Amino acid sequence: MDTQSIPPLIVEHLSFRYRTREEMALRDVSFTLEAGQVFLVAGASGCGKTTLIRCINGLIPRSYKGDLEGRILLYGEDVADKPLSAISQIVGTVLQDPERQILGSRVSNEVAFGLENLGLPRDEILARVDDTLAYLGIAHLRDRETFYLSGGEKQKVAVAGILAMQPSILLLDEPLASLDPVSAQEALRLIRRLADEGRAVLIIEHRVEDVLKIKPEMAMFMVDGEVRYLGPTAGLEAVVDYHEVKLPAPMIIEKARRDPPPTYVPPLLARKEEPTAGLVEFENVSFAYDDGPTVLHDVSFTIRRGDIIAVLGPNGAGKTTLVKHAIGLLKPREGQVRLEGKDTRELSVAQMAHVIGYVFQSPSHMLFAPTVRDELAFGPKNLGYDQATIEEGVAQAVDILNLSGLESYSPLALSFGQQKRVSIAAILAMRSRVLVMDEPNAGQDYKNYMAFMDAILQLPYFDAILFITHDVDLAVCYANRVILMHEGRLAADGPPTEVLADAALLERCRVVPTSLLTVNLEMLPRTGRFMRAELLAHVTDSASCPAPGEGRGDR
Amino acid sequence: MLIAWKYRERNTVIQRLDPRARLIFMLSVLVSVIQFWDLRIILGFLTVALGQYFLAKLTWRETRRPWLLMGCIIVFLTFLTFLTGRGGVGTAYHEEHLLARLGPLSLPIVGWSFTLDVTAEKTVFAISQMVRMFAITAMAITIPYTIDPSLYGVTFRGLGLPDKFAYAMDLAFRYVPTLGRDFSITLDAQRARGYEVEKLSGGIISQIRKLAPLLVPVTINAIVGAEDVIDAMDLRCFGIGPRTWVRELKYGRADRALIVVSVLIFAASTATSVIGYGRLWVPGFVLAWAGG
Repeated sequence: MDTQSIPPLIVEHLSFRYRTREEMALRDVSFTLEAGQVFLVAGASGCGKTTLIRCINGLIPRSYKGDLEGRILLYGEDVADKPLSAISQIVGTVLQDPERQILGSRVSNEVAFGLENLGLPRDEILARVDDTLAYLGIAHLRDRETFYLSGGEKQKVAVAGILAMQPSILLLDEPLASLDPVSAQEALRLIRRLADEGRAVLIIEHRVEDVLKIKPEMAMFMVDGEVRYLGPTAGLEAVVDYHEVKLPAPMIIEKARRDPPPTYVPPLLARKEEPTAGLVEFENVSFAYDDGPTVLHDVSFTIRRGDIIAVLGPNGAGKTTLVKHAIGLLKPREGQVRLEGKDTRELSVAQMAHVIGYVFQSPSHMLFAPTVRDELAFGPKNLGYDQATIEEGVAQAVDILNLSGLESYSPLALSFGQQKRVSIAAILAMRSRVLVMDEPNAGQDYKNYMAFMDAILQLPYFDAILFITHDVDLAVCYANRVILMHEGRLAADGPPTEVLADAALLERCRVVPTSLLTVNLEMLPRTGRFMRAELLAHVTDSASCPAPGEGRGDR
Repeated sequence: MLIAWKYRERNTVIQRLDPRARLIFMLSVLVSVIQFWDLRIILGFLTVALGQYFLAKLTWRETRRPWLLMGCIIVFLTFLTFLTGRGGVGTAYHEEHLLARLGPLSLPIVGWSFTLDVTAEKTVFAISQMVRMFAITAMAITIPYTIDPSLYGVTFRGLGLPDKFAYAMDLAFRYVPTLGRDFSITLDAQRARGYEVEKLSGGIISQIRKLAPLLVPVTINAIVGAEDVIDAMDLRCFGIGPRTWVRELKYGRADRALIVVSVLIFAASTATSVIGYGRLWVPGFVLAWAGG
């Protein structure tokens, strides 16, 4: 058979329903993936993207049971007739989180794992490992322990473990989700190169704007398991709702101009005119884990009432370590952290939880209750609130995080995106005065996270909000203050219009300007502040825009 | 992601040995020491175990946590045995000489009231049991800090386990510190929600129930993590046939000598035990104190 002329992957009328679910996960999906193509699959959480990958790589129906219809052909041969081991040598799958994929304790072990399983001769395995590492430019990582790699390095090692098996089709499930902007750019360049060398690449990604930079040949847009668009990437813009999928800012501006101007509601949380004492004060804080290297170096800054702070910086810059000091989970080796004037060494975490609510990065480490309602009530109960306050807080959090109808569901049975929203709602229900969120939009689709960020900023009881993010646009749209971290130090602390305008500083801190930031900087003389693309679409030369934080009295 | 123990290269006599020989030696000491209740013999094994620990150049600082954890468990178990008097009676000793009678005493939490007979045999048995467990701990603690995690699988394969079991042992070894990390993250996440594990109150059942915020996420994560591991292994052809182990192990002269010593220790211990030596030894001065 001449495999050159046969498309590597053909999906025909594919439908699937998980055994444990009533609704269909995929409905009549058909497409063809050619060699040398990057094929982008976009859509909101729960639209069936990951299910599609599981069907192609054979985990469905082998590991995930359900009703499967339609056909998947790999070089013309039905995957139903192939064992998983045969599929795995043609189709390489890079999972969303490299931490879930990496099995080896050292890089060389990890890359060799699949080849060892194929029973190849030792010399061939070693040669392929070295070739693959060299190809990806990570030969220097060969003998490193995988646990100590940065997020970007882990991603490359996960890819290396797949590429070493020399698959001709690559399936990438949100490969950028855990990467800082520079690592994401590097990953995208690699993906383009892999396709240009003849592999067929199917990439699922929420960060559509980023993927469009490598000019995918084809795109598919899915809603509720159905294909809404299939064709050249250029046509994607026409069918996609810019409120649901994040498009490049110029595209959104172009589309939003045709719509009525959105109502701008400034954040209720606002900086007060009079100077206020610091809510949280970091004074010359240094910290190291056990006998490891110093993670924070002489950090000093103050969170004041009205602050909406975005903490940006590359993986491993010390962002999470920094905010864990704010709630007393970590105590400084040197220096002092004060919460409303009191040294955090003298306060218990529970005492501090009255003032600071901290949303952890991973929801799965905190969800335990039998229902969403019980989960949300857990924190307020611990803080000793009365029943009426608890119920009111829970109801409000359910509403803000779009969890209505799920109150009696088990949080453990929800999707990752829903679990993340439950974890944020659980902290909102505690009504702490300072809200700290670690990667609030990780694993969330654009529409959901923009909606809950909008809602959180309108809540009356927060004095300050701080969020860690890799998403520069989240800082552009919501922050009135940006802290840039680099190698455990504060590289910058100031208004977004100043910090994010310093291109050299951003490059040094591995922050990549987005199209929204670029457009905002161009229009700054007219707007006077950063704003989201939909608002920029309606800015005219004479427009006057309210500054962030204004409007507490407007409502 | 599975994490590894805090291993690092040390260039010591212990680390230069083949991990298979070291596991055989550990197993030999372990199986030998459990054949004895004689404190003098057990102290000999403790000396061997501590000798290995110090030859490995491990420091108190790096091994403090497992020592404290195991120390607490050992002291608790020993205390429990001492209180109940179970374990030794009828197996290690058949008669007892009273040293003191304490009581009535009341146990906190459960509120049980009882009188405690402190006997010479019960006391020496508890000490022997504690020293025995510390000897085993000293042998075992050295292993994760001094064996390269990337050699776990091939080590077990080299000991004769089939591929699947050898890799399962590799994963199981790394699951312990992974669970520890997950527990620590969950504890932090719940403390940030005002949960105070140190303030648990009520009866035992109630206290266990109140541990749900810690136990449920850790358990669920462990299950989900295991599923992820299985998916990742399936997607890279694990278990389709005989696998190649890219890392190679080779016995040297010292390794062979250690294996011979291990066999001799086991054989000598078994022979000693079979002919009736090594039973509980109660020092004469303790018996004299009891009036025996």
